[in-house]
Amino acid sequence: MTDLSVGDLGTGKRERQALARRRETLSQGAILIIAIVAVIPVAYLVRSNLVLSLMTQAVIAGVLATSVGFLIRQSGAVTFGNAAFYGTAAYCVALPLKAGLSLPLGIALALVIPPALAYLLGLVIVRIPGIAFSMLTLAIGQALSELALKARWLTGGEDGFSFALPKTVVGLDASFLQRPTSMLIFSWSVLVLVLFGLSLFSRSRYGRVVAAIRENEERARFIGYQTVSRRAATFALSAFVASIGGVLATLYNSFVSPETMHWSLSGMALIMAIIGGTQLLWGAVVGAAFVFFAKDWAGDIGEHWQAVIGVILIVVTVGLPGGISGAMMQIASRGSRLFKGRGAP
Amino acid sequence: MIVQLINGLAYGGLLYVVAVGLVLIFGLRQVVNFAHGSLFMLGAYVGYVISFYAGFWAGLVVAIAALGILGSLLDIAVFGPLRHRGPMTTVLVTFGLALILEDFAQAIWGKGLRLQQPPPFLSGTVAIFGDSFPVYRLAVIAMAAIVCLGLAIWMRKTRVGLFVRASSVDPEGTAMQGVNTDRLSILVVGLGTSLSGLAGVIAAPLLSLSPSMGSYVLIDSFIVVVLGGIGSFSGAFLAAILIGQIHNLGVIFVPSLAAVIPLALMSLVLMWRPSGLAGTAA
Repeated sequence: MTDLSVGDLGTGKRERQALARRRETLSQGAILIIAIVAVIPVAYLVRSNLVLSLMTQAVIAGVLATSVGFLIRQSGAVTFGNAAFYGTAAYCVALPLKAGLSLPLGIALALVIPPALAYLLGLVIVRIPGIAFSMLTLAIGQALSELALKARWLTGGEDGFSFALPKTVVGLDASFLQRPTSMLIFSWSVLVLVLFGLSLFSRSRYGRVVAAIRENEERARFIGYQTVSRRAATFALSAFVASIGGVLATLYNSFVSPETMHWSLSGMALIMAIIGGTQLLWGAVVGAAFVFFAKDWAGDIGEHWQAVIGVILIVVTVGLPGGISGAMMQIASRGSRLFKGRGAP
Repeated sequence: MIVQLINGLAYGGLLYVVAVGLVLIFGLRQVVNFAHGSLFMLGAYVGYVISFYAGFWAGLVVAIAALGILGSLLDIAVFGPLRHRGPMTTVLVTFGLALILEDFAQAIWGKGLRLQQPPPFLSGTVAIFGDSFPVYRLAVIAMAAIVCLGLAIWMRKTRVGLFVRASSVDPEGTAMQGVNTDRLSILVVGLGTSLSGLAGVIAAPLLSLSPSMGSYVLIDSFIVVVLGGIGSFSGAFLAAILIGQIHNLGVIFVPSLAAVIPLALMSLVLMWRPSGLAGTAA
């Protein structure tokens, strides 16, 4: 009797949880559609091509920054080398086009090769604890970009190369990829879908096991989970997101160079993620937007942008561990608490 | 061939001096100083400027002293206050510092490459098995050996050295035994950064000076530190000699793959021993 009732209670609880989760997914779906639709009037209302282009670049950098922020949030691992995957993806798109092959093939390669590479590298480097992982991602990023720099025959060396997009992509006029208005809408939609996908991953069973490994790897292993392969897979997922950013950037610029792989770009993506905040998935996007527009506003001190960004990084790391998005949420929750007159968590 | 091995030894010696500074800092503070490469670069420029007025050796001494003071300040201002905030916080702050220092060097000395001449009596060549070889590279090896011996004697024979060794094995236990690790680390972090300054000055005649010269050395020395087993002095020594050789042979025989070979070697070793050559089984 008691056993049965306990079982019933369990199922009831589980059903309630499933229902709550479905409701959350539904509301997220609504946010998803609103977020995608909302950018359309913005894209058409902003008249300045310069601002539109800046926004598009910020969105694409936001994808790369999200790949870094996601890894910190999900796995607790700080990568200094995700531009290596971003740049590899860029070359995967550009090289087939240069050789006269099709664009969809290039995009497919770009979405498969870098994550596969990341998975294999991940199997080795995720075993190494904490800081050493970060040091190695930096070394890997640097080695891959050196490799691209030296393979002049393939990559065009330091100068890189530009290429022409085909006239149509899956029946659409390909020029939409290079007009700021349409590309802003397109890359924003991709970014929103990426965020949605990552949030689904975080809430999936697999994602929660990865989070458990982040909290205590030894205990997770003790319970019986394979921790190395799961952390490597999460690293590969992060590389996959970085690759999406690389594909978007390459399509928009129709140009690649080894600079897309350089550690300074990886570092910038990490800075965006930290400034934006890593407790929330969309924090990195806020960081990317902040970095792009702050640089534009900086004007005269723009010459010393690197030092300025270094100072901002230090200030945020020490004084604002939740980043801008964390601060935004704090203000929002304080506001709603005032409004409702009771203590919201 | 012998000449090539000696070349590799010179680069390995240089890497050792940089990497052992990282290991010293890690031992006391359990953090990795991402600004170490920028301090190396700064040391090179300080040596360069002073050598104009007072010669190479004065440049070396001033750079060591200046970088040592800077390191102690770094410990007082950054590592100390942030010691309870998780190692990643310090990594990010030192990364920010690296960006600032690089910009600073660029503002003062410009982006262009600058050349530093070795001191006159070390600038010739010497014949080794029929090949002529720059004397200066032998001097680099000698200086790295002096650093290595000096550190070994300091750590084995002195009381402070004992504290440093103890702290690199178990910092909490050492503090509990009554060692003031905060005061000790001001000294040790200063020592670590002064070694990066020393490395910068002696590397300057081999590499050309530029604000970004530190990043390559930093990355190679990271490989050394991880390969040797993070926090291990003997591991760093072994790994530096190994990476110096591998790097140099790679540059000669397969230049297009030279950047990847040290990394590939390291991956193989880490698959075999995840905690590095001299690391304890984690």
